[in-house]
Amino acid sequence: MTEFFLPAFQWMEVNLPGGTYLRESTFGFSFLLTAHVVAMCWFFGLILMMDLRLMGVANLRTRVEEISPRLLPWQVVGFIVMTITGGLLFWAQPLRYFGKTFFWWKMGLMVLAGVNAGIIHLITKKSDAAWDSRAAKVAGAASIVLWVGVLALGRLVAYDWMTTEYFVE
Amino acid sequence: MLLPFFEWMESLAVYGPSIYLGPAVNIVHLTAMVLFLGALLIVDLRLLGAGLTQQPTASVARDAQPWLLIGLVVLIVTGVPAVMATATLQYSNSVFWVKMYLLALALIYTFTVRRKVAFADEGRFGSGTLKAVGLLSIVMWLSVAALARLIMMIPANTFEFLVG
Repeated sequence: MTEFFLPAFQWMEVNLPGGTYLRESTFGFSFLLTAHVVAMCWFFGLILMMDLRLMGVANLRTRVEEISPRLLPWQVVGFIVMTITGGLLFWAQPLRYFGKTFFWWKMGLMVLAGVNAGIIHLITKKSDAAWDSRAAKVAGAASIVLWVGVLALGRLVAYDWMTTEYFVE
Repeated sequence: MLLPFFEWMESLAVYGPSIYLGPAVNIVHLTAMVLFLGALLIVDLRLLGAGLTQQPTASVARDAQPWLLIGLVVLIVTGVPAVMATATLQYSNSVFWVKMYLLALALIYTFTVRRKVAFADEGRFGSGTLKAVGLLSIVMWLSVAALARLIMMIPANTFEFLVG
C-alpha cells in the first residue's frame, strides 16, 4: 500500500532543498533529533497527565472539565515543536524512512491517536457529566496505549530492523 | 579512579547475548521519562502561574508527587542496566558525565528547594520566587533529557572542557 506514496518520496528526496546539508552535518541532525525527543516528552507528559485524570487515577484534585482546556495550550506548544523537528528529520532523508516498516506503523498509530483525541473532545464536550463516563475512561486509556506505541515505534525507527526492499542505507 | 568499577559493570554483560533487551529497556526508560516530566511539568507550570491555576500549587504538587516518584524509580531501574551494558564507553564520554552531574544537581534541587516551595502554603513565597523555582526546574530537567539523547550521538569529547 505504501508503494502508492513512492513517487512522492522519490520526488522529495531529490527536490527538497537543504536535505543533504541536514543529513551530513554532525550537529544538525543530532540537535534536531534531541529537540524532537525533548518536545515529545513535554507533549506526551502533559497528555499523559490528562489521560490519567480521564481514567480517574491521577490528579483527582483537579476537575476533569478543567484539566483538558488548561493543559491544551501547553500540549500544543510541545506538539508544534515536535512536528517541526519531526518534519525536518523526515525532510533530511525521506527515502530512508520510506523503506522502514516501523515508520509506517508509527504514522498509522499517530492517525489513530489523532482520531482518539477527537473522540475525547466530542465525549467531553457533550456535558460535564460525560467526563466521568466509561467512554472517557476508555478513550483516556486508549490515548496512553496509542502514544506509548508511537514513542516505541519512533525509537525503533532508529534501528535498521523490519526494512522493506525499498530500504537504502 | 572509577574505571575498574565501570569495567566490572560491563563485564557482567547485563543484557546477555540479546540484541532486543537493550532497545526494550530503552523504550521503558523513555516512557518513564515522559511520566516523570509530565508530573514535573504540571507543577512547574503552576509555579509559573500557568496550567492548573484554579487550585493552589500545593494541591497540584500533592497529586503529582506519587507519579513523579513512580517515574523516577522506573527511570533508575532502567537507567542503571543501560549504563552497565556500555559502561566503559560511557565512562570515557564527557556527555555522559555532564548528564550525571546535572542529574545529581537536579535531583537535589527537586527534593529540597523545589519541594519546599511547591508544597508551601499560598502566600508564603512571592510570585517571583515561585516563577524562578519553576523555571529552573524545567530548564534543568529538559537539559538532563537532552543530554541523555546526545550521549553516543555527538562526539564523546564535546564537553571535555567542562569535565576534563
